[in-house]
Amino acid sequence: MKSINRLCEDPSPTLRINSGRSISRRSCDPGGTIIASAKRGRAFQAREDNLVNYVSRVSVLILFLLPLLIFAQPQFFGYFESEASTMALGSETYTYGFNKLRLDVEARPNDHVLIGANVNFEKYWGKTTWNVYDFIPGYQDLGAVMNIALNDTILLDNMYMRLRFPFADLTVGRQQLSPGVGYAWNPTDIFNTKSLMDPSYEQTGVPAIRVEVPMVGRFSIDAVVDPVEDWDKSTKQVWFKGGVKHFDFALTRAEYTWYQIPLATGTYNFGTKVERMLMGGSIVGELLGFGVWAEYGYNDLDLSIYGSCPTCTDYLLPLLTTPFEEWVLGLDRTFDNSLYVLAEYFHNGYGIARKEALSLSDYVYAFEGVTHSLMQDYTFVYIMHPTFDYVSLSAIAFANLNDNSGVISPMLEWNAFQNTNMSVQGSLAWGEADTEFGLQDWGLILNVTSNF
Amino acid sequence: MKHLPLMLTLGLAITLQASAFANPLRPDKQDKIAVEVVKAVTEIMTPDNMKSTGTQTITTSSGRKRTFEFDSYSGNKGERTLTRYTKPAAIRGQAFLTLNNADDIWTYFPRTKRVRKLASHAKKQKVQGSDFTYEDMGGGDVFMTKFTPKYLGDQEKNGELCWTIELIGIEAEDPPYPKIVMWARKSDYAPVHVDYYDENNFNTKSLSLTDIQNIEGIPTAMKMEMVDHQERSRTIMETLDVTYEWEPPDNFFSERSLKK
Repeated sequence: MKSINRLCEDPSPTLRINSGRSISRRSCDPGGTIIASAKRGRAFQAREDNLVNYVSRVSVLILFLLPLLIFAQPQFFGYFESEASTMALGSETYTYGFNKLRLDVEARPNDHVLIGANVNFEKYWGKTTWNVYDFIPGYQDLGAVMNIALNDTILLDNMYMRLRFPFADLTVGRQQLSPGVGYAWNPTDIFNTKSLMDPSYEQTGVPAIRVEVPMVGRFSIDAVVDPVEDWDKSTKQVWFKGGVKHFDFALTRAEYTWYQIPLATGTYNFGTKVERMLMGGSIVGELLGFGVWAEYGYNDLDLSIYGSCPTCTDYLLPLLTTPFEEWVLGLDRTFDNSLYVLAEYFHNGYGIARKEALSLSDYVYAFEGVTHSLMQDYTFVYIMHPTFDYVSLSAIAFANLNDNSGVISPMLEWNAFQNTNMSVQGSLAWGEADTEFGLQDWGLILNVTSNF
Repeated sequence: MKHLPLMLTLGLAITLQASAFANPLRPDKQDKIAVEVVKAVTEIMTPDNMKSTGTQTITTSSGRKRTFEFDSYSGNKGERTLTRYTKPAAIRGQAFLTLNNADDIWTYFPRTKRVRKLASHAKKQKVQGSDFTYEDMGGGDVFMTKFTPKYLGDQEKNGELCWTIELIGIEAEDPPYPKIVMWARKSDYAPVHVDYYDENNFNTKSLSLTDIQNIEGIPTAMKMEMVDHQERSRTIMETLDVTYEWEPPDNFFSERSLKK
């Protein structure tokens, strides 16, 4: 288990997963499927391919952009967030939480230049070390350990400069990228994985160069590159966006390095690099009075630019290179009584169809955000009603249709003051003990967020 | 006979009262006036282009207040609008874009850097919990295109002699309200009051337009107050600064500007 321990405690340069993201404590946060850890979008740590690279890139950004920020009459804003959680897992009940300060700074030296940055300060309390095996059916009682430590962090999350030209916008630096039209899942988003407990939480910045070129009417081209030394191995994505009548659509093509971990070989820490080529699109509009959207991604996998896979057996090789599809369908509507309802269905061809076929690596993929989901078919429903003055009642429910497990999570949100929101969110899981969500019992999250 | 003067007085009073709405003009003349007034009001309310800053104060039924500040832009005679909130901190940078007289709406959430297209049912949603809907704020020429106007006569409203116009929604055009009654000043066609009705002919909301100033030749209500009679809430929108001489850059009303 040593290599597995190392996986989550040390962002080793050799351990890189999915579109330029390192395996980090942040990505080891089991929030993706663990109900009481709501805010998966929290950045625990930078997602660089190694620490040296990270430090050098950030240093360049700071050296270049900091003086501009300081001398251009910066504006400071942000929020303070405090969260306390309790959850029942098996026979144990755990209490934990965090305090987070996000400090944003923005400067506009002139109408054509925007410089932005934000730093996150995070301090954890209560239970801060988690054993991933406690969340994997069949592994809880084996005594195995794969610890995740949530350490206090200070993170330069975003730091970028945006230049506005008449013909294009150019953004350089660490920046938040949120492509796709899906609410809970985005098959065409190669940069992020969302938490089902809070899909609208902010995402961590991505180091990239982005060019957005407006064309005629509602048409535009949007391109993002996260360059490395070899262009073929750089992360690249381009979108062609447009709008016709009440519909918006986007076509996209992406190429990036993806990592798969052939656990079956027993050499966990030898991630296999694969070139992943995504072709997809999305459409959003209106049908029969409902807001509707669809997002589709076809993923082709190629080992050739990284040479052969030394750890791959004849059995594993096809598994690593089999193309797969992901798609999401969604609809929403606000009724006359202000009740808002949203529903989504997600299919992930890379997911596992039967729970009996799940391996440890499948769980790790899902926890790490390598895949958008553990299994193949999911639904997500969100209902919200602004019931009283500044008080809304809502509920999220999501289900894994392959193992018949799920979570229902009611929430009360109170806009107590102009800049302060307080919420209480409960969660109750269903399903058998050997299912994705069924092994978790219940959770409760208290959250206070105050903006300044 | 001693009651005759009283009966005459009552009769005269009833006649005068009735004449305040039921006017003596022929129906075709009434229609012509109604169309002219609505056209003139639409001209005032939908200038070619506009750029403004303002505040929006919402008072709920329990008396709690929230105040927002925003920058607002409109173009192509109100067919396109863009509104961006600047205060308070909790919604700073949130923006919405309406095109085609609010038939198409996009919102931008700075926290997630995401633009979301809203379906047309969202037109009737309250903007930031206020008593104004997206459609109220981006309606453009809907008075002319989605309603049949009827002249009800002259009436004093807010101390001004006004044309009183009833607007009945054309069902096929999906009007924002089934019926609207509007009062516009006879002196310059500036609207001073609007009542909105639901399907049951219940007056659900009322809009008062006051502090009307002549800005660059256009009578402009610097203060608008929308009262929701059902929820007993009110929203006051005050214009702090406005110009009609602003020219939007090419492609200004686009996703690109939303994210600025």
